[in-house]
Amino acid sequence: MKMQVQLFGAFSDLVPERKLELEVAGMQVADLRRALREQLAQRWPEFRAGLLDYSAFADTERVLRDDEPLPADGMVAILPPVSGG
Amino acid sequence: MQTRMCLKVVERSEAALDPAEAIDFVSDPGFGGIDMFIGKVRDLNRGRAVMGISYDLFVPLVLNEMQRLAAEVEAEFGPSVKLYVAHAKGRLAVGEVAIVVAAGTPHRDEAFRACRQLIEAVKHRAPVWKQEHYQDGDSVWSEGCSLCHDAPAQEAAAGGHADDHAHPH
Repeated sequence: MKMQVQLFGAFSDLVPERKLELEVAGMQVADLRRALREQLAQRWPEFRAGLLDYSAFADTERVLRDDEPLPADGMVAILPPVSGG
Repeated sequence: MQTRMCLKVVERSEAALDPAEAIDFVSDPGFGGIDMFIGKVRDLNRGRAVMGISYDLFVPLVLNEMQRLAAEVEAEFGPSVKLYVAHAKGRLAVGEVAIVVAAGTPHRDEAFRACRQLIEAVKHRAPVWKQEHYQDGDSVWSEGCSLCHDAPAQEAAAGGHADDHAHPH
């Protein structure tokens, strides 16, 4: 399915529009993580891709586990480790 | 109960955070204790001179998380507690206020503990990121706490919790 990923923190520097669209083979968050890892490696080989391992995905309501289904509206956010306050 | 909690994000270009507003909000004739935490932008981090910090927030989720975290505090300290959390968004200069957390309760012990619990929870779980701007012109995104559910192995690894004790205040 086609997903739009809103970018935050270090990921937001990747593209000025602060979001990526990508085609995900699968219906789970883990499938999106895999697709994003591939796109990072292809388009931004110099980006520290390991950051993805510590990053969570979320919709506007809550953080999503890797074994959960992707939101039906195709909208998610990637959340690198947080540093508020 | 909404009237006992004020949870918000304030765009820096529109207003500065106002600690006096927090005190007003958590005040109550039945309360003898108010505790407040004010987090400010510090001029030095890990030996580097800091000029300012840009805060990036996923606002709808921040507000939902604040709601959950405040509800957890209310569940522990009882429904009479009043709670206030405001986080700044955008670019802040050194000395400006990044976060205000306040708790009002009948007695001081709960006020201290409720405020501490809430600020720690917000720091560890709210989707907020800071980019430090250094005097030498460089800018770096801080890395703090991973929100991954299966975090133990990740937190143990380098980078998973790298900034836990290097907050800007």
